[in-house]
Amino acid sequence: MKRIFAGAAFLLGLAMLMLGALDAAAQSPPSAFGPPAEQQAAPPAFSAPPKTVPPKAAPLQARGPLGGVLGWVAQTQQKMQRQLATAVKRLKSGNALSAGLLLAGLSFGYGIVHAVGPGHGKAIISSYVIANEETVRRGILISFLAAGLQALTAVALVSLLLVALNATGFQVNAWVNQLETVSYGLIALVGLYLLVTELIRLWRRWHPATGPAPDHGHHHHDHHGHDHAEGEPCNHIVDARDIAGPLSWKKVLAVVVSVGIRPCSGAVLVLIFALTQGLFWAGVAATFAMAFGTAITVAVLATMALGSRELALKLGGGDSRWVDAVWTTCAIGGALVVLTIGLLLFAASLGPARPF
Amino acid sequence: MLYWTRRGCQLVGALMGAVVLGLSSGAEAHPHVWATVRSEIVFGPDRKITGIRHAWTFDEFYTAMAVQGLDADGDGVYSKEELEPLAKVNVDSLKEFAYFTFVRVDGDEKFLPLKPPVDYWVEYDDTVLTLHFTLPLETPIDPSDKAVTIDVYDPSFFVAFGFAEKAPVKVAGSPAVGCTANVDTPDPESAEAAKALSEAFFSQLGPGSDYGSQFAQTVMVKCTPQ
Repeated sequence: MKRIFAGAAFLLGLAMLMLGALDAAAQSPPSAFGPPAEQQAAPPAFSAPPKTVPPKAAPLQARGPLGGVLGWVAQTQQKMQRQLATAVKRLKSGNALSAGLLLAGLSFGYGIVHAVGPGHGKAIISSYVIANEETVRRGILISFLAAGLQALTAVALVSLLLVALNATGFQVNAWVNQLETVSYGLIALVGLYLLVTELIRLWRRWHPATGPAPDHGHHHHDHHGHDHAEGEPCNHIVDARDIAGPLSWKKVLAVVVSVGIRPCSGAVLVLIFALTQGLFWAGVAATFAMAFGTAITVAVLATMALGSRELALKLGGGDSRWVDAVWTTCAIGGALVVLTIGLLLFAASLGPARPF
Repeated sequence: MLYWTRRGCQLVGALMGAVVLGLSSGAEAHPHVWATVRSEIVFGPDRKITGIRHAWTFDEFYTAMAVQGLDADGDGVYSKEELEPLAKVNVDSLKEFAYFTFVRVDGDEKFLPLKPPVDYWVEYDDTVLTLHFTLPLETPIDPSDKAVTIDVYDPSFFVAFGFAEKAPVKVAGSPAVGCTANVDTPDPESAEAAKALSEAFFSQLGPGSDYGSQFAQTVMVKCTPQ
């Protein structure tokens, strides 16, 4: 567990470092050692210079004691998005290899930061893994599958609508919104399914006579792979490998599809931008690099969620009733969180269409 | 019994922590669209504000999405006619979002009602798109007794509005002697800060939140009494 934490932290740190280096590289191309330019100049004339210089916004600031942090996060995202635009344009004119690497790195970093926002299934995946007897490895697998599917959906949607059907950007947007609603509905269903199965298990436990397949009182034991007689003590602090049940592909797929069917709006914007620059393939590459970054953030969060469950289990000091209580609470709590978030987002997504 | 009560409290505490962590990170919004705002405060006769004339310039990514497929005749030029539907869609759907423009008399809770936009069009210079429109106030208001404030923001923070660095607001329309319009920068040390934090905390707990209001920049319109 510790090693995985350390590994995740290391990866994140590495990504941040890379990001910092790329950042500096993007800002001061001529001299790597000179002081970086204060503000990134407007992209040089790759296309015809605009007739009027577009107005520049003052840096975003937020109120409140956390304002500095929130403002910094928002400004960083804006800066990164501008650098992405510059990197795509540079592919056309400059050195394709260095520009391509820069684009991939920027997209990767953008994905890591971007995933902190809504819509990447962080809360859903984290809740799912704590509600189920999932291991860290599976949490990571689910995060990567979901991010990969989100990228695929974005690429498929944009290629189908824009490249094949010559639709407008707003039609793509409408599709994104529809898929969003579908995704949130599916998430709510997954939550409901988790909740119902858990409640049925609990009910069977309390009414062993009426249940068709009564277990011996520890609902989570059915996956343990070891049997013991009624009342026989059993050490519940087991290795994650022992506790993990057989990988339920059906359940995992349900989670991955419900989260991944909704393309990331950020990726769709990058894809369309790349397409208008005549570099669709670069957009596709950027989308997958971004998904990789997103997956890392989600995986780190899911791992942290599993870590806190592990901590909660340890608090009981090996007491079997305590362990039981933690498992049950995690299962019901996790299912409830998935259901609630799904319902709230579903309701919100039925609201009026956004103007922008 | 006491043992179990204590255990239960620890368990509840740990889970609450996990849920709050999950929810706050889940609902923390972040912008997908950036808009640079330039506004003109339109005065009518007798120094009353009659409306707000906005010019919102969008980022390159949003621009690419918005104009995609609108070059109907494929000549590579986005004519005014080709872009007209875009302006209409934007302006029509803005109504549901209160035009992202919140006008009130300084110190009041209530927002002043706005009429649907007039005089709207989009401008595209091959890189970025600018949406122009004028929002008339339902009833013109005199800012001499009490200042009038105008906030431009998206509560859900999907769109990050920021006033332009240069000339963000202007006074326009009939000559209004002694009237000024300025952008107030939020003061993090202000007494309101603590209130804003608690609001921000609760607003992060659900979608459709008011997260974006933390980023609102306020335009203060004042007239010296005559």
